[in-house]
Amino acid sequence: MHEDIIKDIKKGNRDAFRHLYDEYAGYAIRTAKAITRDDELAKDAVQEAFIRVYRNISSYNPTLSFGAWFYRILVNECNRLLNKEKKTIPIDILLMENNPQLMEHSKENVSDLYGVIQHMADLYRIPLLLKYIRGFTEKEIADILNLNQNTVKSRLFNGRNLLKEQLSLMEMEGK
Amino acid sequence: MDHMDERIKKEIMEHTDDSIDQLKDDIWNQLDQELFQEKSRREKQMKKKSKAIPIIIAAAAGVMILFSTQTDTGMAFIKQIKDIFVPEKEMIQSIEGTEEPTDVVLQEGKDAEYIIYMDEERYKLIKGENADIITTKEPLEERYPEVSMKIEQFKELTPEEIIATKETELASEYSKVTTTEVVTDPVEGYKLHAIDGGTQWDSPVTNVYVVDNKNGGSFVITEKYFLEAAEGHGARFYAMLQEFEIVE
Repeated sequence: MHEDIIKDIKKGNRDAFRHLYDEYAGYAIRTAKAITRDDELAKDAVQEAFIRVYRNISSYNPTLSFGAWFYRILVNECNRLLNKEKKTIPIDILLMENNPQLMEHSKENVSDLYGVIQHMADLYRIPLLLKYIRGFTEKEIADILNLNQNTVKSRLFNGRNLLKEQLSLMEMEGK
Repeated sequence: MDHMDERIKKEIMEHTDDSIDQLKDDIWNQLDQELFQEKSRREKQMKKKSKAIPIIIAAAAGVMILFSTQTDTGMAFIKQIKDIFVPEKEMIQSIEGTEEPTDVVLQEGKDAEYIIYMDEERYKLIKGENADIITTKEPLEERYPEVSMKIEQFKELTPEEIIATKETELASEYSKVTTTEVVTDPVEGYKLHAIDGGTQWDSPVTNVYVVDNKNGGSFVITEKYFLEAAEGHGARFYAMLQEFEIVE
């Protein structure tokens, strides 16, 4: 995000904010839809994230990329709304970390890769969604989720391996 | 990007493509209304009224400025904290020799002057007038000594002044007080440690950490637990304190 646009937004310039919105909204909506699995929640999360960005732009610290800052707010907002709706599925993180299966649910009825991702535990699902939707790097995902870069690397690696395994399974079944 | 990556990306895009443009327009309309139209409407109303009764408006504006400095600024500050620090995260703590991942939640201390991450499954934060206390969510049975971590700020007392008082206090309450030491973990500051009795499972233990608030005063964190809980509650308090940050 260009510095001059941020400066203009700080002054309350509507056009500058619209410019930011046009640049970020599309991917933000896709990300929120994927994380919340619910269009209405996604809409609220994106709306609230932009409001928070507008009202708190003066607290934005340029040592973090604007994209990482924005998506940190967005992911937090999605999680907050999910918690509020009690739609999050409780998972035992310790169990998940040590379980090669990595799956939150049974693989039954999962017929595509998107379905496989959406059945994964959030600790694998959210980094994968950030990687594939917006093309964030491991470093950027680590910044967004406030995790160590190696943790992100390992979660992406494990998540991707599971997808690979599932893909071969689906291809075999297709034959 | 290899074939599989392309396929994953394509599938995610297809599944999230539905009604994007409609949502984009709806959200913008809401944002525009909330952030720009309301503001402009309020400004117009102010202008209109100002021609008729300028003195009243001047007084009202004064009240508004006063009000906004006391409320909006405070709210913005708290929001800012929430933007800087993630509201929830996973913390790895070493409990009785085992690395235990724990979900911890951001807590804003008294007057938003510090933050800490707390394991809400086990503990609760009680905000008091002079101090905040983190204690077990479920009250302990009477046979157990107190388990708590108190966080308080003394704006007028330097760490050195606090230490002198605390050393005397601890010596009167506990049978064994160890020499005050400078520590860098879990916080940067001074650590005072004391134990009463010392060999029983329920011997009361305290750790007092004194941290410079960088503004002429000090934060004092007082942990209380008992000997057998040193590797349980003691270790959990230690891990929480590693996340303690003063908000300047």
